[in-house]
Amino acid sequence: MPIEGRFRRYVWLTWAVLFALLAGACYGLHLDLGYVGEKLPFLLGLRLAPDGFIQGAALTIFVTACSMFFALLVALVTALGRLSSNPLAFALATFYASLFRGTPLLVQVLIIYLALPQIGVVLGALSSGLIALSLNYGAYLAETIRSGVMAVPAGQREAALALALPRWVIAWKVIAPQAMRLIIPPAGALFVSMLKDSSLVSLMGLWELNFLAQSYARASYHYMEMLIAAALIYWALSIIFELVQFRLERRFGKGVAALGRR
Amino acid sequence: MRAKTGRPLFLLLASLCATHAWAGATLERVKHSGVLNDVLVNTYPPFGFIGADNELAGFDVDVARAFAAKLGVTLHLATPGWETIVSGRWVGRWDICICSMSPTEARARVLSFPVTYYSSPAVLTVHEREQRINSIADISGKRVGVGTGSSYENYLDKALVIPGAAPLAYPFHDVIVIPGDETINFRNLALGPGVRLDAIVSDLATAQSYIAATHALKIVGPVLYAEPNVVATEKGDPEWDRTVSLTFNQLKADGTLAKLSRKWFDRDITLDAH
Repeated sequence: MPIEGRFRRYVWLTWAVLFALLAGACYGLHLDLGYVGEKLPFLLGLRLAPDGFIQGAALTIFVTACSMFFALLVALVTALGRLSSNPLAFALATFYASLFRGTPLLVQVLIIYLALPQIGVVLGALSSGLIALSLNYGAYLAETIRSGVMAVPAGQREAALALALPRWVIAWKVIAPQAMRLIIPPAGALFVSMLKDSSLVSLMGLWELNFLAQSYARASYHYMEMLIAAALIYWALSIIFELVQFRLERRFGKGVAALGRR
Repeated sequence: MRAKTGRPLFLLLASLCATHAWAGATLERVKHSGVLNDVLVNTYPPFGFIGADNELAGFDVDVARAFAAKLGVTLHLATPGWETIVSGRWVGRWDICICSMSPTEARARVLSFPVTYYSSPAVLTVHEREQRINSIADISGKRVGVGTGSSYENYLDKALVIPGAAPLAYPFHDVIVIPGDETINFRNLALGPGVRLDAIVSDLATAQSYIAATHALKIVGPVLYAEPNVVATEKGDPEWDRTVSLTFNQLKADGTLAKLSRKWFDRDITLDAH
């Protein structure tokens, strides 16, 4: 315990020093903090956009949360297809994952927004963005899920079968909890990355965090102020994601906690 | 028999197309909904930007308001990326673009330009302490910034054709053209003469707003050329184009455009537009 306490103290101390250095560097840029304060409520999304929709960080969180949900659904189905012995399901899953992992997200966003209308499907800005983000991250997440499931030792499944457990109980109570422990860290990294990639929806005129920061920067010539403010907000949101990830890791890691986790 | 199997597919296609706004529908749509969907650029002060009250503001916004008021419809503004606007095929998302667009041949292939609403002079901007560049003839071999895909880029490439105007003179050679984001270009120029850029070719109003913001830049030489800025619509609805053109002529005749121009620029930039 005392060793544990000392470790923590040093971690916090190092963080504090690094943070102070960063703050000092920002101070050296002679930022106009009054302007940042003036724009902060808009950047954070505490007020609605002129069209009555949410904006700023609130919209960023909304886009990310929705895309996370849909990406998870898509990824589960794809991972099942990838693990399936049915050639059609396997081909569909691998084709989709390859296509969406192998092409740039920016291109996908533009194709969904600009090319789909050519075949008669006219999507709004928000739905285009959600679809692009979900499909892109779903493809990555599918591989993460698959690797987690495959890493569960075959003996676990065999033992469950020997006990004559029903298939869904094996999947849900035996495989899933053990796979989750392995899936959560890389999935958390993906979601943090998605949070920042959500800025691509600004291309379609959605007033999210990055869009507002760039607009204010150009309108007022406070470029550094707005970029740094946006960066810090993204960082704060990422830290929240990391904390959630940490809690989940602890929860699903209970079974192996005794093997020397700090 | 073939016709029979073909029919469900045809119906499916027809139903898909029903959601597709066909050409010629713009005027109908605006009339029926009572809403005008205008697109503009949010990062082009003083024509279009987000103002202190977090509302879109600028010359283009005011012109759009006046236009919608004249038509008696509600104005909706959208600010998608420039590339999504100029690539055309709006499929009914937007009705009009009052967005400081200069007409080029490539754009004319996908968009209609019913009316010119102002004329913008192109100018050469350099750093305040710049000694070597005193006119456009001095930019040979220098690094000159322009907005990516802008008509200023075409100008430096000696490939700018202004519809209805005499061919331009290009008294320079071997210019190193640096296309990029205009805001970042002006920031780079403000770092000092020749640090990252030697000069910028841009619109006069844009240059003036950055000169006021940085106090480190100056315009040199006379106006390079004047370029028409047009209202753009989706191709294929001549009736809507006529309505747009007539309404703009009314706004010109009753002095509305001139008044808005003086509000933003202290002079009438709509004068030479025809």
